[in-house]
Amino acid sequence: MRVAGGLLLMVAAALIQVTWAAQLEIAGAFANLVLIAVVGLTWTQGVPAGLLWACAGGILLDLNAPGPLGPHALALLAGAYATGFWARNLDRDSPFHPAAAVVVSTILYSLVLIGADDALGLPVPPLRTAAQLTIAASLYNAALMPPALMALRRVTGGLHWEQTAA
Amino acid sequence: MESTARPRSTGRFLVLAAAMLALAALSQQSWAAGFRGTAKSALAPLEAQMMSLAAAAEHATAIFGDIASLRDQNQRLTAQNQDLKRQLAELNAAAYDNNELRNALDFQRSFGHRTVVAQVVGRGPDAFSHTLQIDRGSDDGLQAGMVVVSGAGLIGRVRETGPHGAIVQTLADPQSRANVFLSGSGLQGTVIGGPGALQVQIQHHVGSVPTKGEWAITSGVGGGYPRGLVVGMVVNVTHSDAATVDSALVDWVNDPATLSLVIVVTDFTPS
Repeated sequence: MRVAGGLLLMVAAALIQVTWAAQLEIAGAFANLVLIAVVGLTWTQGVPAGLLWACAGGILLDLNAPGPLGPHALALLAGAYATGFWARNLDRDSPFHPAAAVVVSTILYSLVLIGADDALGLPVPPLRTAAQLTIAASLYNAALMPPALMALRRVTGGLHWEQTAA
Repeated sequence: MESTARPRSTGRFLVLAAAMLALAALSQQSWAAGFRGTAKSALAPLEAQMMSLAAAAEHATAIFGDIASLRDQNQRLTAQNQDLKRQLAELNAAAYDNNELRNALDFQRSFGHRTVVAQVVGRGPDAFSHTLQIDRGSDDGLQAGMVVVSGAGLIGRVRETGPHGAIVQTLADPQSRANVFLSGSGLQGTVIGGPGALQVQIQHHVGSVPTKGEWAITSGVGGGYPRGLVVGMVVNVTHSDAATVDSALVDWVNDPATLSLVIVVTDFTPS
């Protein structure tokens, strides 16, 4: 049940990200719904669950990107791992911390993704452009994180999924 | 408790990261291309459904106002605008090389290229990948390297194919290159992709200076793209007598965010 629910969430987030969200660009960036879902699941379900869902969500994103499977999963893993540190050590009920965690995760995600793409010979944007896009995406994701986490808590709480961050 | 949990999480992270790196290395091999293409086109039908759903939702909102009709009107006007831009480019180019260029611009009519029309069902998953996912693949005759255009002009080329879907690398990709000439001055140059605006490096030629408002049109030099596809209008020129090349910004005739249908040229093989 938990696996099916998580998978459904990841597939929905990935599909919305590559279809609808991509049309709602702000300053060249758009919401990374899969990253938001991974951060949310790490926050509510713990690091082990977050890491596994990062792999699943990343592979779904890789299916929509040119090149091999794996770079997006690797980038999301970095985000989930960083979120784990945050969730373990800070007030998990505050809306500020998840928003800040998603900013850090977005920056790590972008760095890992660009690094992986560069290593694999895939196109990478110029540094300045990459920095601008990363900042815009961080802010976009941060704005969406508190309501997304609230919704996720309601769903996972209703299904008795709540768990402490390990 | 926490001190044991942290190393365990770190261990899991490292194992999973290694697994993803191994997956990337394996799926990049040429023998895995078929599997990768099949896996990638598996989501295309779902994405097409999502796009249809979005279109249906847009129509549903019409009952709350005239948004849908205004959008339709906007799309029609955008299409008309693109068509007018193309016609203007044709006329402008005709002044330079009337007969040959007009034939080249309307490649479908004059060159008789075989084409496949595809629906855009998705876009790259992040702002760094300037790609489009389309609902036609190798089963429809598509191959990597084929040129992709719209009614307005050049979009890019097919990068990967699966049986029922393909990924198109657009001109906005930083690694995209297209050799062009300018419709007014006839100067040759290379368009370099970029997310903000397309840049064109123009070779110096005695007595000719690139000017704002000229059309950048594929020259066919290098064999990467057929001659005569409109890329965009020159909007800003940086000229220096001391430099060997001038640089200019090109306003691309296509906006990937609004593209819903594309045309794949299936009988042009890039050299």
